[in-house]
Amino acid sequence: MTETTQLRVMDFDCPTCASTVERAIGSTEGVADVEVHYTTGRVEVTYDERVTGPAAFEQAIENHGYTPQRA
Amino acid sequence: MYTLTDEMPVDWLPNEWLRAGRRHRKAAVTATSGLLYAAGWSVGHVSGLETVSAAVLVLAAVVGGYDIAKQGYYELRNRTLGIKMLVTLAAVGAVAIGEYWEAAAVVFLFSLGSYLEGRTMRKTRSALQELLELTPDTALVRRDGEVVEVPAREVEEGEVVVVKPGGEIPVDGVVVDGESAVNQAPITGESAPVHKTDGDEVYAATVNQEGALDVRTTGAGSDTTLQRIVRRVEEAQEAKSPTESLVDRFATYYTPAVVVLAVGAFAVTRDAILGLTLLVIGCPGALVIGPPVSVVSAVGNAARNGVLVKGGEHLETAGAIDLVAFDKTGTLTKGETTVTGVEGFGAGVDADEVLRLAAVAEKKSEHHLGGAIVAAARERREHPGKSGTSDVATDGGTVAVASEADGSRSIPDPDEFDVLAGKGVVARLDGREIVVGNRALLDDRGIAVPGPVAAHVRERETRGETAVHVALDGEVVGVVALRDEIREAAPGVVAALHEMGVRTVMLTGDNERTARAVAEEVGIDDYHAGLLPEDKQAAVEAFREEYTVAMVGDGINDAPSLATADVGIAMGAAGTDTAIETADVALMADDLERIPYAIGLSRATRWNVAENVAVAVLTVVLLLAGVLGSVVHLAGGMLVHEGSVLLVILNGMRLLRY
Repeated sequence: MTETTQLRVMDFDCPTCASTVERAIGSTEGVADVEVHYTTGRVEVTYDERVTGPAAFEQAIENHGYTPQRA
Repeated sequence: MYTLTDEMPVDWLPNEWLRAGRRHRKAAVTATSGLLYAAGWSVGHVSGLETVSAAVLVLAAVVGGYDIAKQGYYELRNRTLGIKMLVTLAAVGAVAIGEYWEAAAVVFLFSLGSYLEGRTMRKTRSALQELLELTPDTALVRRDGEVVEVPAREVEEGEVVVVKPGGEIPVDGVVVDGESAVNQAPITGESAPVHKTDGDEVYAATVNQEGALDVRTTGAGSDTTLQRIVRRVEEAQEAKSPTESLVDRFATYYTPAVVVLAVGAFAVTRDAILGLTLLVIGCPGALVIGPPVSVVSAVGNAARNGVLVKGGEHLETAGAIDLVAFDKTGTLTKGETTVTGVEGFGAGVDADEVLRLAAVAEKKSEHHLGGAIVAAARERREHPGKSGTSDVATDGGTVAVASEADGSRSIPDPDEFDVLAGKGVVARLDGREIVVGNRALLDDRGIAVPGPVAAHVRERETRGETAVHVALDGEVVGVVALRDEIREAAPGVVAALHEMGVRTVMLTGDNERTARAVAEEVGIDDYHAGLLPEDKQAAVEAFREEYTVAMVGDGINDAPSLATADVGIAMGAAGTDTAIETADVALMADDLERIPYAIGLSRATRWNVAENVAVAVLTVVLLLAGVLGSVVHLAGGMLVHEGSVLLVILNGMRLLRY
């Protein structure tokens, strides 16, 4: 089933880095849609909950050196 | 103290540590790398132990660079050649040619820069979240005759919440019992408390200052006015302003150009470090960060002052406003029309009878003048001794109509009734025709206006009042004068706008004389009277040929004019989603003084964005020239680059305190 979740990253340090994270989450299997906003730090992911979940998105964010928070 | 042998879940401890470690990792890594760098540098300079110095400097680069390299690797996996990979390559390259000092310095400076950038941006981002934290987590709810404490977001619509004096209101709702003063600053930005009693709306996160209140819930959790506002503000912050889009488009050409330049420089000079230096310092950091930081800070500042700006685009336009058009009723005036005088002119028809006739005719009308006339007639019936002014409104700006049931008996329904838009009403009662309206209506119906009546009407109108004729069977029998008080703040606000070089215009459906009187009292530059709603829209359209126009209104009746203006400003929007929907800028409170503030903030934002773009462009130009002219090297270039990024962020953040 399609789910939407929201995460916060308060420590993005450059706009390009936010788009890189967006691309990383977007290429995760099961993710239908993702928006990462540098200005507000808001991460919104629409995904198939049978395939993936928030833990995978958090991992992707951490890999790029940022701290995800559940919103 | 817990130890691992305690009955705690074993994985609890390391996890907690891990998370704490992750939180402070950037700071720790940066600090360690910096200390090693300083140590390596001093060892080299003071003791001359070259090998030791080199080893410590390489260690500094490795400690600081490990995370950067790892993140660069993930960037590459996403098919992005990002700044982190470039910094890694630059550091590795520097070590390879024996420039240990440069390697350690570039890593440390980049690490420090991005740590500080993340930290300052966190401050900007959390400015809004602080607003949300004002909503209490729990609510006291009346359930089955008991008061129970439940999580605020679990309160159901229709449930009654008890709010103690001094407590924050946990939900949106309507007061059903009690009376108090409520500080609505989190929503409206107004620190003066608002009086609340039965039937008044209250908002989550506002503070109940005096008495206990019982509030019937209309929205809780994420369905509150504050939550909706914050969501709107975030959307506004995320939307790109024209400058941002321009800069982004520029960056898509600029970045490849820098890569070509770097490769070209390497091809010519065979100097790998020069190529890498160009790549690192050529990153358009300050340029792409500057505009969004300015906009986010300004939109956040506005939100905390009760002004919802719906995007950077509107902020940039609002900064160019040089004409503000005000709707009169409910904007420059309070929108609380009251009857100020009734005069009888016919034989045997006294003032009370004139008012009664007018009230009969207007009873079914939904016009605000009609409402005021009916209210005054009821008042007079109940308190015959009093002068005939009605009650003023409490909160919403509408005329309070008391005791509907009693009033219906004293003022009969008209047998027939017809509204003529912009003119008045024609009604029939017991075979007699009552006409209530302006001069145009009387002329239409061929009713003569005697000299004394015309003189009286003129006199009332030059005082800024609206005079309504009352005619019975084709003969004018009296005049009802009404007045809508001007807001105390209006003259000051108009003066403040003039001070800023902004022209002011009033648009109104009222007649020429009334309009002139109000315009003079407020001190407004110009006025257009006798306008129908579509005329107002046309007037705004005409102003736009010469000016950047803001239109101020309630956002409901004047939605078309608001939409036509360059910037539509709606007042008193807290409770009405339609107003927030149609406006570009919504003032949560009925507070005119926010208009000069909003325009001032927008102007400051335009300046701020321009400053940031200038700093960024200047930095890049100087650095490129410096690098190509061999004046600037890797570490120095990085220092200036990171410095310029921090400078534009800090400059943008000044708008948080405008």
